[in-house]
Amino acid sequence: MTEEAILQGCLKNEAPAQRELYNRYSPKMLAVCYRFAHNREDAEDMLQEGFIKVFSQMHTFQNKGAFEGWIRRIIVHTCINNLKKNKRFNESLDIVHAHGVQVREETVPSIVQAKQIVECIRILPIGYRTVLNLYAIEGYSHKEIADMLDIEESTSRSQYTRAKQMLEEILIRKKILMKPREKSDWLVAIR
Amino acid sequence: MKESNFYSDDFEQLIREKTEQYKMYPSERVWKGVHNSLHTKRRWFIGSMSLLVTGILFFAGRELITPSSRSIVLRKPATTAGSVTEAQKPWLAAHIPHHPTLASLHSPAVSSPARHNTAADNAADDEQDPGYKGISITLSHPVMDPSDLSGWVSRVQLPDHAPDLPVIAARNIAVDAAKTPEDGVKLTNRTGAETTSGRETAEETDADGISARSVLASLSGRGAEATRNAKMTGRLARNGGDGKGIAADGPESSSEAAKASAAAIAEAQDQQRINWLHEYAMNTLPPPNKRGRTFFQLTLAPTVNYRSLNGLDPAYEKYGPLPGFSVSPGQLMNHSTAFGFEFGGSILYRLTRNLSVKGGLQFNFARYKITAFADSTGGGGSQGQNLNSYLGYVVDSLQRNVSNGQRASATSGGSPVTRETLNNDYYQLSAPIGFELRVLGNERLQFNLGATIQPSYLLGTTSYTLTQGMTKYSKEPDMYRKWNVSGGVEAFLSYRTGNIRWQIGPEFRYQLLSTYTSKYPATENLKTYGLKIGLTKMLP
Repeated sequence: MTEEAILQGCLKNEAPAQRELYNRYSPKMLAVCYRFAHNREDAEDMLQEGFIKVFSQMHTFQNKGAFEGWIRRIIVHTCINNLKKNKRFNESLDIVHAHGVQVREETVPSIVQAKQIVECIRILPIGYRTVLNLYAIEGYSHKEIADMLDIEESTSRSQYTRAKQMLEEILIRKKILMKPREKSDWLVAIR
Repeated sequence: MKESNFYSDDFEQLIREKTEQYKMYPSERVWKGVHNSLHTKRRWFIGSMSLLVTGILFFAGRELITPSSRSIVLRKPATTAGSVTEAQKPWLAAHIPHHPTLASLHSPAVSSPARHNTAADNAADDEQDPGYKGISITLSHPVMDPSDLSGWVSRVQLPDHAPDLPVIAARNIAVDAAKTPEDGVKLTNRTGAETTSGRETAEETDADGISARSVLASLSGRGAEATRNAKMTGRLARNGGDGKGIAADGPESSSEAAKASAAAIAEAQDQQRINWLHEYAMNTLPPPNKRGRTFFQLTLAPTVNYRSLNGLDPAYEKYGPLPGFSVSPGQLMNHSTAFGFEFGGSILYRLTRNLSVKGGLQFNFARYKITAFADSTGGGGSQGQNLNSYLGYVVDSLQRNVSNGQRASATSGGSPVTRETLNNDYYQLSAPIGFELRVLGNERLQFNLGATIQPSYLLGTTSYTLTQGMTKYSKEPDMYRKWNVSGGVEAFLSYRTGNIRWQIGPEFRYQLLSTYTSKYPATENLKTYGLKIGLTKMLP
C-alpha cells in the first residue's frame, strides 16, 4: 500500500489503512517515546495518545513536508505534554548544574550498538535527557525548547551542556567512546 | 572492533544516527487503544447488546428464579359493599367461622363478583371505583380442600333476623359505578307485583339480567318452591335496613306469615352459604392451567473448542517432507483444545404439540491453545520477539543446522528459544434462530432434537494468526471477519418440575464461514462441543 493510499484511507477513517500506517511508523515512534519516558509502559501510553492525535488530526497534514516528520512532531509534543504533567520533571528542569550525579556501573546495560546509546541516554536525569533529546536528536533550537518546556533559553543551553558532558562520561565509562589523545579529537567512536 | 576519529562537533550526529537506528515494537494493547478510540461504533454496539442481554437476564431472574409471592385479596364492589352497615359488623364477626385459611378479615364484606388477585389490579380498580377502597379479605392459602370447604360452609350461622347482606346473582356483573352503597343489590322477585306492595320494590338486579331468584332456583335445586320462597325473601330483603322483621302485607294471615318467614330465613341461610361457597371458589381456587404457546428459555453450556484449518498457503508446501522428521508439516501445528462456555436466552413459540421455533441471544466464549516458540532475535510478537509455530521452529532449526553443518534437531535447536502456550480466544455474540422437536416422551419427560442457525458478531479476539508459510505467529486483528454464521445441533432430555422444564444434553456448533477475511489465504472454522443445561418457563 502506498503512502498516498494510506493517507486517503486514514482520512476516511478506514481501519486497515490506519493499521498499516501504525505498523509502518509505530516502531520508530515508540523508540522516540522511550527516550523521553520513564519506562516502556509510559512510552506505550505516550505512543497511543500520540497516534490517536495523528489519526484525528490527519486532515491538517498538508503534504508540505515528510509525513514521518509530521508524525514525529506530534509524538514529541505528546511526550513533552505528558512529561510536563509530572512534577518531578518540572523540578528537574530548574537544576542547572547537576555535578553530583553519579553513574553507577551496573545501571549501564551492556547491549550493543543503538540500544546501548539509547539506554545510556535514559540514564540521564529526566531534565537533561529531555533537552538532549530535543536538541541533539530531534533538532529543535534552544528557543523552541525553551518555549516547549516553559523555561529560559539559557536554561536550555546549560542543561544541554551538562547533559552532553554526562552522556560522554557514561559512554566513555562503558567504552562506547574513547577519550582523545589530543584536544582536537578527544572522542573516538567505537563502531 | 573498528576505530575511527570522532570530533566533538559530530557528537550530536553520532547520537542522532544511533538513536534513529533503534526501533521498538509496541504491544498489541497500544493499537487496541488507538483503534477503540477511533472506532466508537463498535463500542456502542457492544454496549447495546450488553444492555439487551442484561435485560433478558433480569427478566429471567425475576420470572424464573424469584417469582413474586402474591397474596390473594378479595374485594367487594361498592354496589354490594354498601349494604353492609356498621351495625352488621358485629354480627358478621360473631357468625362467620374462623377458618385457618382466613388470615385476616378487614371488612365484613362477604361477597364479590370480581376476582382481584394482584396489587396492581387492586390499585387500578381503586382508582376507577372508590367504592372498592378498604374492603378486602386476604387469604393466606389459595387452595382449600372441597370437603373442608363444605364442612366450613355448613358451620355458617345466620341470625334470626338476617342482615341485609347482598345476594350475588351473577359474578360477571359489570359494576355500575353510579350506584350508591344504599342501592345495594337486593333479592329480586319477578312476580313481585303479586306478592309485595309498591313499597317493596321488585328489582331486576343485574346487568346480565340474571335474577337472584333464578340463582336461588338453580343453586338450591328447590324448583317450584323457589317461587314461594322468593316472595318471602323479597320481604326479608326489605327488613335489612330497619331491622323490624318481616312485615305482613296483603291478605295473608299471621300464621302463614310466620311460616313464610321461617322459610325465608332458611332460604336466606342457604343463600348465604352458597354465596360464601361461590365467593371462596371464585377467589381462591386456582384457575385452570392455560396451555400457553410462548416460553422463555435460559441456557448455559460449558464447551470444548477447536478449529479446522484449510486452504494452506502454497509456501507451506515448499517445506515438503522435512528431512529428519517422519511427520508432515501439517502435523507440526501444535494446536490443542481448550475450554470455553456460552450462555443465552431465547423465546420459544410452540407451533404444534411437538414442534417449537425459537430465537434469542447468546454469548459465546471459544478458546483453543497454540504452542509457539519465541526467540529474541527481534521482530514481531507481543514482547518484541519472534513467535514461531512448531513448523517455523523446525524449519529455522534445520536451516541453522544445515548452515552450521550440524545434525538437524527439532528439540534442541541450540538457540535461545522459549516454548510458550498461548490462547486463541474468541468472544462472540450470536442470535440463534431455530427449532426444537419432541421426538419421544410425554409432558413430563421428553427427548428432543434441536437445530439453530446463528448469525454472530465477533466482539473481540486475542488470537494469533499464522503468517509466512505457516511458520510464524502474529496478531492481525484486521484479518478477522466481524460477522459470521454458525450452525448448531443439539439433543437433550427435558424434565418438567412444576412450571419449569429442565433440560440437559450435548450440542455441537460449527462456524460456517472462515474466521478470517478473504485477504487471508487459509480458512479457519471454529468447532464447539458443549453440554447445554437449560430451563424453560411458560410466559404469562
